Amino acid sequence: MTELAFLSPGAARADDGLTPRQASPLARALAGSSGIRDLSLLGKIELRGEDPPALVDAIRITPDRALLLCEPERCAELLETLPGFAVDMTGALAGIELQDEALMRRLTDLDLSRLPAVGKVAGVPAIVAPRYRIFFAQEVGHSVVETVRDLQQGLA
Amino acid sequence: MRLPPQPDELLDRSHEVVFFFRGEPVRAFAGDTIGSALFASGRRVFSRSFKYHRPRGLVCCSGGCPNCMLTVDGTPNVRSCVEPVRDGAVVEPQNVLGSLDRDLLSVVDKVGRPFTPVGFYYRTMIRPRRLWPLYEKVLRNVAGLGRIDKHRGRTTRYDAEHRRVDVLVIGGGRSGLKAARAAAGRGESVLLVDENARRFGAEPFEIVAPGRALGIYEGGLVPIDAGRLLLRVRAGRIVVATGAVEQPLVFPGNDLVGVMLPDGARRLIRDFAVKPGERAVVLAADDRALAVVEDLARAGVETVASIDLREHDPSEISAEGRRGRLHAVSIEGVPHECDLLLAAGAPQPAYSLLAQAGARISYDADRGIFVPSELPEGVEAVGRVAGDLGRLRPTRACHGDGGFVCLCEDVAVKDLERALAEGFDSIELAKRYTTVTMGPCQGRMCHLPSIRIYAHAQGTDEAAIGTTTARPPWAPVKLGLLAGRTHEPAKLTAIHHRHEELGADIIWTGAWRRPHSYGDAPAEAKNVHDAVGVIDVSTLGKLLVAGPDAVEFLERLYPNRYADLKPGRVRYGVLSTDAGRIMDDGTVARLDDERFYVTTTSTGADSVLGWFEWWNAVWQLDVEIVNLTGALAALNVAGPQARELLAGLTATDLAAGGFKYLDAKEGRVAGVPCLMLRIGFVGELGYELHFASPYGEYLWDVLLERAAKPFGLEAQRILRLEKQHIIVGQDTDSESNVLDANMTWIAKLDKDDFVGKWAIEHAQERGPRELLVGFVMANGTVPAEGGQVVRDGRPSGRVTSARWSERVGKAIGLAWLPPDLAEEDATFEIRVNGRLEQARVRLRPFFDPAGERLKS
Repeated sequence: MTELAFLSPGAARADDGLTPRQASPLARALAGSSGIRDLSLLGKIELRGEDPPALVDAIRITPDRALLLCEPERCAELLETLPGFAVDMTGALAGIELQDEALMRRLTDLDLSRLPAVGKVAGVPAIVAPRYRIFFAQEVGHSVVETVRDLQQGLA
Repeated sequence: MRLPPQPDELLDRSHEVVFFFRGEPVRAFAGDTIGSALFASGRRVFSRSFKYHRPRGLVCCSGGCPNCMLTVDGTPNVRSCVEPVRDGAVVEPQNVLGSLDRDLLSVVDKVGRPFTPVGFYYRTMIRPRRLWPLYEKVLRNVAGLGRIDKHRGRTTRYDAEHRRVDVLVIGGGRSGLKAARAAAGRGESVLLVDENARRFGAEPFEIVAPGRALGIYEGGLVPIDAGRLLLRVRAGRIVVATGAVEQPLVFPGNDLVGVMLPDGARRLIRDFAVKPGERAVVLAADDRALAVVEDLARAGVETVASIDLREHDPSEISAEGRRGRLHAVSIEGVPHECDLLLAAGAPQPAYSLLAQAGARISYDADRGIFVPSELPEGVEAVGRVAGDLGRLRPTRACHGDGGFVCLCEDVAVKDLERALAEGFDSIELAKRYTTVTMGPCQGRMCHLPSIRIYAHAQGTDEAAIGTTTARPPWAPVKLGLLAGRTHEPAKLTAIHHRHEELGADIIWTGAWRRPHSYGDAPAEAKNVHDAVGVIDVSTLGKLLVAGPDAVEFLERLYPNRYADLKPGRVRYGVLSTDAGRIMDDGTVARLDDERFYVTTTSTGADSVLGWFEWWNAVWQLDVEIVNLTGALAALNVAGPQARELLAGLTATDLAAGGFKYLDAKEGRVAGVPCLMLRIGFVGELGYELHFASPYGEYLWDVLLERAAKPFGLEAQRILRLEKQHIIVGQDTDSESNVLDANMTWIAKLDKDDFVGKWAIEHAQERGPRELLVGFVMANGTVPAEGGQVVRDGRPSGRVTSARWSERVGKAIGLAWLPPDLAEEDATFEIRVNGRLEQARVRLRPFFDPAGERLKS
């Protein structure tokens, strides 16, 4: 069985004088911003199956899919020990954490009193975890951040 | 002009505000509206009517009618009677030529009226047809509302906000406040919205004022226009407390300046301490309206006559004016000199929102009003809107011969009668033909009177005529507010900013932004042939198909075979629809017994994912499908020096024998774990590296430092065309099947079954109707993509791709041709810039036909 290491940012190693350097897809979009924390490089594992283990920070996406958030270093160990089907989605999802509830209300029509929830944020499909931690496809991440920063101006 | 301080006035007399009307300063107090301040300054004419340019003045003072509409700070059609004053605001009249008091266009009223009856533009200006644009321009200039400043909107910011509450109360009158307080007392979250910026005390719930509820949509969604913010409120329960709207009476002269609704005059006195006139006549049909006499007395207005229409409904009322202003009113022949006529029939519950929500609206013949009943679940009506209006009696449809029914669109009684005579006998048709109820008041002032006149004219009753359908928005709303700030998000690869830094020409491909070239596409292509190039192919759709049934799943989906694909090997695949049409193409790499890595086209990724998931739901196989499109960056390193370049970065055996064409291997490149696929869309020795997207820029940088040169989409298009590799969606369309696309080898018709098998078998029996083949041009001109293939002077095919290839030294392309023409060296013609140019069929790749370089 292959380990699918090519999916795991945590599996990179310095090699022959070259040190792999990770970059957040939001790094440029977030430059000079305030009130937005970048969670893009947080470890993210997708679990499949109807009975995922009762994990503290597992977010239900559908009845048989869940997203597990973890420290990046723990990904490899979790992938090995988790029962069932698990895939490293660290690179797939960008994430931000916001503090402002008014800002959230302009970003999404999700019920903020019932998090986690899955729906559209800033016009893109997203997973919203408690404490306004929002995860979305990294390729549209800059668009989300642009929208967030624009709405911040509207609220100011 | 102000009265002494009134007990409940909204004014803050310690705070003066100055705005400008036609350049002249107008003094007001904080708490005034632009309309109240202008009235206090002596202005009586506020607008000129839509069609006839008749002078019009304040009527309702509650934002319900069109009479006070002015252009404020460039925004047209602002209801000045509810628009709060602002320091420095620039207020201008609209739809006038000259001034409000002397509008030159009022000539339309004097001499044009006989020629401009209802619907005249459907009849009298339709011939000659070519002149309509001219007529239209003239009509638009002499009739209508304010003018939009097309540039202003772009600088105005509109936002939308989503809210969830237990209870939404629409209307902040007595009943609305009571309902809101009760709900808040039960610990429910409450939002109250009111149309007027009236002063509310401290309340234990949130108040949005001024704000207009525009409609009630499914799931209890209520959009609220709060100026530059659209609130999208979802409420568990909606309490409608929109009150009732006083209904104007219809009689000759009923639109003169000085004819108002009792409530309008009361607001001027109570809220703004303004004396509405000197001598008043009051005609009303309910206690609340009749009580305006007390307000008038307090304000020092002499009431010369007050008539309770419930006791006596006069057969004839006629108002006379001088220069458009009320001078006297004659009631059944008895004249009264006055400058203020407060006239209203029974107040009509403002039921529109309830009707939209699905309530039943029925006519109460005893009281002469339409009342809501059978409210849908989760919607309540309280107070006056529910019909709680005291003693009422129906009044006459018309008091005399003539008068206006609709102030917004200048529809007179005569116009309705004329529409009826022309056969528009249902109220819905009358609405569309005469535009009655379709103006800015949305029927607040004219709905009931128009129904009543129709009933009267047809000798029936209001119940038989019925109401017109209530639709959102209930109040006019700016398009900017509805458009909001949403936009389509573009997709960027993890390496996108590097392309920008290199000055790439970035283009849209589907939702993605991709480099077309880095300045010189032919040179980029040449570099791939001669040295080594790298292209960002992160946009490719990428799917992991895993599970015990993964093989079975792919066998059923694809026309070709995957059961015999060995781990570590890659195979080209084309997906076909049930109808055998080409849907998408890509590669399938077998990682191990149960896991496959599937790539799709960049633009097809989402539909292929949906296709896979749909079939998986149908077949219920033991297989997981994971979308890895964004998880992985991908780089295609291609060119004769690709092996040498990568060898310096990886310990993986790259030797021709150890890493063959169509092999897949996992290994580190510059320390980053990669899935390496040896495939060759561009026709040279190449390795596609798929790896975690956070390392996109890092690996790109390493490769460029090691002498790989970037190439863009244009170079890739030239290179793949030299190999006759097709692009699904460009060379194929929704009608193309794999047989016609010259990929007969891909359809394994001996397989048990696969999606589209029946259709492909059918296509095989019937034989090809056209075939996709390569061609070279005789003289080097490059035909347009989509260009016409001509044979014996008749169109008989089309060009799908064409480029000049420096390497081949010719203009080359792909085209759909009749099957009998699709033979090596057959000649045909292509129309290029109107001329026919010779072309010759080439069935094999133009470059490296044996694939020696690709497999080296």
